[in-house]
Order: sequence, then structure tokens, then C-alpha cells
Amino acid sequence: MARLRYADAISSALREEMLADDRVFIAGEEVGQYLGTLGVTSGFLKEFGPMRVVDTPISEVGILGLGIGSAMAGLRPVCEMMRMDFAMVAYDQVINHAAKIRYMFGGQFKVPMVIRGPSGVGRQLSAQHSQSLEVLFAHVPGLKVVVPATPADMKGLLKTAMRDENPVIVMEALRLYFEKPDVLDAILPGLSEVPDDPDFTVPFGQANVLRAGTDVTLIGYSTMTIQCLKAANILAQEGISAEVVDLRTLLPLDMATPIASIKKTHRAVVVQEQWGLYGCAAEISAQIAERAFHDLDAPVQRVTGAFVPMPYARNLENISFPSEHDIVIAAKRTLGR
Amino acid sequence: MAKKPTLDLTKYVRFYEQMVYIREFEELIGKEWNNAAAHGMGGYMHLYSGEEAIAVGLIGGMDLSAGDCFIGHYRDHGYALAAGSDPGEVMAEICGKATGCSKGKGGSMHICDAARGFYGGYGIVGGNVPIALGLGWALKYRNQKNVCACFFGDGSMNQGAFHETLNMAQLYKVPVIFALENNGYAMGTSIDRSHANQDLRSRVDSFAMRSVTINGQDIFEVHEQMAQIIQEMKEDPHPVFVEFKTYRYHGHGAADTPVTQSTYRTRDEVARAKEEKDPIKFAQAKLIEAGVLTNELVADIQARAYASAEAAMKFSDESPYPDPSELIKDVYA
Repeated sequence: MARLRYADAISSALREEMLADDRVFIAGEEVGQYLGTLGVTSGFLKEFGPMRVVDTPISEVGILGLGIGSAMAGLRPVCEMMRMDFAMVAYDQVINHAAKIRYMFGGQFKVPMVIRGPSGVGRQLSAQHSQSLEVLFAHVPGLKVVVPATPADMKGLLKTAMRDENPVIVMEALRLYFEKPDVLDAILPGLSEVPDDPDFTVPFGQANVLRAGTDVTLIGYSTMTIQCLKAANILAQEGISAEVVDLRTLLPLDMATPIASIKKTHRAVVVQEQWGLYGCAAEISAQIAERAFHDLDAPVQRVTGAFVPMPYARNLENISFPSEHDIVIAAKRTLGR
Repeated sequence: MAKKPTLDLTKYVRFYEQMVYIREFEELIGKEWNNAAAHGMGGYMHLYSGEEAIAVGLIGGMDLSAGDCFIGHYRDHGYALAAGSDPGEVMAEICGKATGCSKGKGGSMHICDAARGFYGGYGIVGGNVPIALGLGWALKYRNQKNVCACFFGDGSMNQGAFHETLNMAQLYKVPVIFALENNGYAMGTSIDRSHANQDLRSRVDSFAMRSVTINGQDIFEVHEQMAQIIQEMKEDPHPVFVEFKTYRYHGHGAADTPVTQSTYRTRDEVARAKEEKDPIKFAQAKLIEAGVLTNELVADIQARAYASAEAAMKFSDESPYPDPSELIKDVYA
């Protein structure tokens, strides 16, 4: 077991897959000569050369077209968005093209590509660089959407994404990128551990119970899973046993795991970083209501980001997305406390 | 027309025949549009009549069995037929049948033929252009001596996707032919109402890309020039922008009726184009003059082309609609 930072897990997955499969190449802004905007492809250009580590102009439409066409022709492109917000520039290529090609051509083509990049709140990056837009992708058939919370899942899910035969959107939690292993392990022992086995992968569509509990189920993904773990620690001090379910992928979505947990705890809190209205937590809450209504002892609670563009001021930013304390309050509400 | 001493006139008789086959195929659809629902046709229907020499001359200059490939837009029936796709499967797709090339899930705008290097027709104006960059990139990545052709219309040139793509294509020297089919109208909006600079070829000068203008109604010029360019691209991979001047006879799509067409062009204009710029008539006259085509052969080709289109429609009519179980298949690989 290695203890890794989230960003190191990304680098490790990319490098291992590039070594294993010469069809894999990376394209994006500043991925090569600049060593990666956030350093995850540092040294890659030197190691793999300019055909496999492709510095592009600031042209997201072109980057994704490069990916889609070369994937259709048999390569395995990894398109980096410097921030997933920038994928909105090329939303047409993702939604109208990558997601549709398999179906509208009756299965004649496949688009095995990865679109990855940092997502969600960072630190004072304000309105255009802090969004969590996964629901805009998870709404669309033909795509897969990956939202890792731990370094091990980041590595294992990214490797699975790179071996998948479909377009996979990998939403990387910027807030977690450089979190130190010690900090992670203090939240939950072993949280930073990543298996050394180069064949280690994490399958899609399998949520993970990161912490067992009996009183309430906290359901999260990405950064919010870590917030749920912090909340569970606080709740434990108050004698409340919270189970934490990390969804890991939103599309495919594993509801069996959270529902099995709810059948045990009879209470659920669903947490997401982005805006609540029409969000992932709404979908998950609806499925709980449809499939486990009679197991519930209290209404499902949602904890979501404020319905505002991300503000710049640090104090405003800090209250714009769910804190562990918000989750604690919601959990207690399900317990009538 | 490039006067090469070795002009292979037999080949041009074949190209002539292909153009007639496409024309008859499209005209049959146009004729049967009155019974569209009975055949299973619906939605949009973009016919290629008038532009045949571009698909036939350019695709005819590629070696599809050796890895050359192409990608199109929604006016895509002609590309498939020019590539040798089965007319029955194309017609069945147009009619939403299970035997269609896309299993009836794509329809008229999404014809494709993976085995012949046809990466499909796309419905978002300009959206196919970035994908061609990737197709060309894959050729370069594998050091293949191949080219990719990307067809699009004058409307696509006003999409940002077009400009991002051409810049990157030139930057990376990918072997892609950017084939502009300039028929003068983006749906109902003419060039002079949509392009600040109406010399469309000059718009790509900013990318320092090789470019050429070709009379798209002249199969000889289309093919001779493209064959030469393709050969040069295979020796030294680079992109080329080609402006084909052409004209479409039908409305933008089936919904663009004579009434809506009257908002942007006159009947006289269409009639004049059919009289003066028709690619089939042009080739026919040249080939008869050269002594390789006769009036008898013209009539024979015409009859066979019509019979082929009718047979395609019959095949489609006799084909089943997709089984309901197909609804949820092919979403993921």
C-alpha cells in the first residue's frame, strides 16, 4: 500500500495506462511542456513524446473533437479540461456527439475516451472556476460519470475509465487534489492508502460503504464524501452512529448499496456540493422514496450548495457549499434531535 | 478541368453512372415524400441532388479499402452511395427500418458505413468538423499513408468549431481534406447575409492552410484535382481546404417547401442552375463528345439507376421496423 495524495493517484493511473497501452494519449492545454497546470502530467512529455502528450491551443471544442474522432478510429484518448467548467465551451461535442455516436449509428462505432479534469470548489476561484457540473453529464444516456472521493478510488476509477469502451467523464475533486495523506488518514484511518498492484482497478456502479453505522446513512460523492466522514466523526462524539456511503460513480448509479444501508438505519442524508435544484441529491432522494419509502423513519434530507454563483470572498465561499456541520444538523434532524 | 493525357475515361463513365444512381435515389425519395409515412420516412430529409459530382469525384479518389476515410453532415445519402454502400440499407435507414445501416436508429441524417470508412452523417452544423481532426490524428498517430475527408457546408464556416479545428489541423499537420460544399445557402440564409467576407476560401488564409477552389459541378475537375491532392497528402501529411462551388436543387430539407424557398431564392434561379450547372448533364455531354458514352448507354444507365432506387425502396418497404427491444440497445458499447 502506498499513501498517496489524490493528484498523485491521477498521475499514477495515467502513467500506468500509457505504459500498458500505446493507443492511449493525452491531449489538453499545458499538459506537456508546462508540465500540467496542476502537475499531474509532469514529466510525461519527456517520457512519452509529443504524439502521446499533446499540447493544444485553448480550444476545447477542438480538443474534444480530437478525442472523439481518434477514439472512433481506435485510439484511447484522454482529453484534459484544465477545469471542467471549460468543458461547457465544448458541451456540444460531449452531449450531441460523444454521447450519441454509439446509438445513432446503430452500434457501428464506439467512442472509448476519457474527459477528465478538476471540478468543484477550490480556493477563491470564484464563479467560473468552481462549479460542480456533474449533473449536466449524468443526465445524458451514452456517457458515464465518475466522481472519486479517495486517492484509491481516484486511481482505480480512472484506470477503469481509460479501459472503458465508452465516453467517460471523470470529475476530479479540486479541493482534494493536494490534501496530504496525514490529513486524510486523520479523518478515517487508511483513507489515503492506494494498492500498489498495477492491475488494481475499481469497477463502475459499485458504491462503497466507507464507514459502518447504525443510526443514519450519509450519502455523498467526491469532496462531499469526505465532508460526510468528518460529520460522522462529530456525530460519533455525540453518540450517533452514522454510516457513510460513497457513490463513486453517478452514471452508472448504484442505488442498491445506499438502499441496503437505509434498510438498516432507516434514515438518510444526501449530500452534494452543487446546487440542489434538480441535482443529483434530488434524483437519489427520489429513488429512495420509490424503493425504500416504508423503510424510512424520517424524510430524506438533502444538504446542497447555496443556489448562487460561487463568490470570491473567502468567508462567503466557505458558507456556499456544505460543511460537516451542515451535515451533522441534517443527520440530527432525521433523528428528531 | 485538368487536361491530363492519361484521363481514364472509363472511370468517368463509372462516375457518371454513380452520379445518376445518386440522383435517381434522391429523386425517388423526393417523389415518395407524399407517401412518407407509409414508407416510414419522417423528420427532416436533406437531398443531395445537384451536388453529386463532389461526393463521387472526391470519394472516388480515395482508397477506402486501404484505410482512407470520410465523415459527413446530414445531407449524407450521396456519400454512402458514392462509397459503395448497399442502397437498400441506406434506404432502409432513411425509412427507419431494422435493416438500415444504423438499425433504424439514426435515420436520414445519420447514415454510416464503418466497413467503408464512412464515419457517419451528423446533424449539428459544424459539429462533425472537430471529429475529422481526430480521425486525421489517428491516421498520423499510426503513421498511416491515408487521408480523411470531411464534408460540410457554407453554414459550418460560421461555427466556432470550424475555426478551432482548422487551426489545430494545420498546427498538427493532419491529413484531412476540409471539403466545403458551398451551395450558397445555409438553410435559407444566403452567403451575403451570413458571411462578412464572402470569399469563403480566403477565410482560411489566416490558418496558413493550403487551399483550392474547385467547380463542384465538374466531375473531371473535382476528381483530377482531388486525386492529385490526395497523392500529395499521402506523401507529406497536411490538411487542405477545398471550396467546391455547387448548388442544391431541393429545399434545405423536406420542410423547406417551394413557399419557404421563395423567401430566399427564385424558381428561375433553380431552373437556371439545373439547366446550366447540372453535374450529370455536364459529364454526359463531355463523355458523349469523347465517344465513351452513347445515348443508348445514357438511357440504359438511367433505367438501371431508377430500378436500383426502386429496388432499394422495395427492400426497405419489405423490411421490418426495429423490434421494441432495440430501444435500449446500443446506448453503451
